[in-house]
Amino acid sequence: MAVHELSLPMTEADARRLRLGDQVRLSGEIFTTAGIPTHQRLLRCLDGEEELPFDLNGGALFHLGSLNAQDERGELTIRYMNPTTSTRFNDVMPRLIKGLGLRATGGKGGLDAACARAMQEAGCVYLSFLGGGAPIFGDGIRRISGIGWPEMISHYRLARIEVDRLGPLTVGITANGDSIYDRTADEAAGKRAAILDRMRAEREATEGRKA
Amino acid sequence: MPITDEMIRQATCDLYDRALRKVPDDVTRAMEAAMATESSDTARDTLKLQLRSAELARERDTFVCSDSGVPVYFVKIGTRAPLDCDIKASIREGWDHLVETIEPPMLKHVTNPLTLERGFHGKDMPIVSYDLESGADWVEITCSPKALGSGRWAALELFTFPSLEEIETYVLDVAIKAGAQHCPPVTMGVGIGGSFDHAAAMAKKQTLRAIGTVNPEPTLAAMEQRLKTAVNALGFGPMGTGGDTTVLAVHVDYASGHGFTPVAVCFNCWINRRTRVRLYGDGRQEWSE
Repeated sequence: MAVHELSLPMTEADARRLRLGDQVRLSGEIFTTAGIPTHQRLLRCLDGEEELPFDLNGGALFHLGSLNAQDERGELTIRYMNPTTSTRFNDVMPRLIKGLGLRATGGKGGLDAACARAMQEAGCVYLSFLGGGAPIFGDGIRRISGIGWPEMISHYRLARIEVDRLGPLTVGITANGDSIYDRTADEAAGKRAAILDRMRAEREATEGRKA
Repeated sequence: MPITDEMIRQATCDLYDRALRKVPDDVTRAMEAAMATESSDTARDTLKLQLRSAELARERDTFVCSDSGVPVYFVKIGTRAPLDCDIKASIREGWDHLVETIEPPMLKHVTNPLTLERGFHGKDMPIVSYDLESGADWVEITCSPKALGSGRWAALELFTFPSLEEIETYVLDVAIKAGAQHCPPVTMGVGIGGSFDHAAAMAKKQTLRAIGTVNPEPTLAAMEQRLKTAVNALGFGPMGTGGDTTVLAVHVDYASGHGFTPVAVCFNCWINRRTRVRLYGDGRQEWSE
C-alpha cells in the first residue's frame, strides 16, 4: 500500500495522483470544524455577506472537532481532535469545495456522489480519519495557530492547526471522483439478494434440525 | 451500612470517566481475532490503527474519541439493597461534578432539539432508566456515553406476525442503510417484540452485552451468527474503506407481545463505550465492562 508524505498546501497534481486506499501523512497547515452552523457561515462568506477568518483557497478543510481555547494573553491551546461524520455536510460541501478551491477535505464516513463530482471538478481529495483516533491525531499536532469565530463552541470554531505527519489517513474519494463509499454501497446493494438466499438456506437447515 | 448519595455520585462520575478512556477487553480481543481472518489490507491496517489508538488512550489516560456523547445510565436496584440516598438526585449531581472536573474537559454535546443550542445540561439529562432486581443487596449502574456517529443509525419498525425471514431481512436492511457511518466494526443490538419502548430498550441493552457471551435462546443464538455473517458479507469494513469486518457481534433479545411486533436495531461504535458497577452497602464495588 502506497504511503504518501505530503506537504500542505497540496498541489493539484498531488491531489490527483492519490488512489483509493492510499495512505497519507500530512505536514503543514490544516483547517478544521465539526459544526453545521460553521459550514453555513462559510457559505455566507462565499456570498460576500461575511469575511472569511482565514484564506482557505487551495487549503485542506477537515471535519474534525477539537478542544481549543484562547487565554487572556491571546495564547492558543489545543487538547485533542478527532473526526466527525462528514455526510452531515453533504448538502453544502459541493459549493464549498468549488467555491473555496479546496485541495483536500475529510473526516469520517465519506461524502455523497454530488460531492465526489465537485471534487473531481476542483481536484480535491477526501481523506478518511479514524473515528476514535484522538490519541493518534494528537501526535500529529504541532500547534494551533488560529481560531476563527471564537464566539462559537469549541468544536464548531474554524481552527487553523499546524500538523506534522498527521495520519495515517486513508484516501476515501479521489480527486478523479472515485469513491470507496459509493463503491461499497453499490456492492452491498448488489450482494443483498444472494446474502438473503444464503440466510434462508441456513435458517431452514437450523430450524429444520430443531423441528 | 447503607448505600449513600456520595457513593452514587462518585460512581456516576467514575463510570463515565472510565468509559471515555478504555475500550473493553472483549472488544479488543474480537478485533484482534478479526485481523487474523480479514482479507483486505486496508481493513487490517485500520483495525491495527484502532487497536493502537485504544492502547495509547489507556497509556496516556486520555479520551479515545472527542465526541464524549450524551450521558445514558441504566440503574438496577436490588430489593434488599440498604439505601440511604436519593439515587435520582445523586446521579444528576454526579454528572454535574464530572462536567466541572474531568480532565481533559469534554466538548459540549448535549443538544436542545428545539433550539439546537449545545451545552452539558438540558431537560431529562442525564437519561436514566430504572429497574428492580428481586432479592439483590446491591445497586448496579451501567453507563453508556452515546455519541452521534453510532446513535444516528438506530431504527425501529413495526410488523404484524412477522416470520424470522422478515425480521432478519429488516435487520440486514438497517445495516445496509447505516453503511459505515457508525465507525465500524460495530456491535449491533436487536430487540424483537414486546412493545415499542421495550423493543428499543432491549436493542440498546444488547449493544452493551459482552462480546463472546452466548445467547441462552437457541433460535436467537443461531440468528446472531447468521446476521453477523450476513452483515460482514456486505463488505463495508472498518471505517467504511472496505473489508470483511463491519460488525464484531450481533446480539438479539426478544419479548412476548401482541401480534404487532416491533423490531428495533441499535449500534455501538468500535470503541463500544460501556462500564458497569455494583455497589454494596459495605462499600464494596464490583466493576465490569
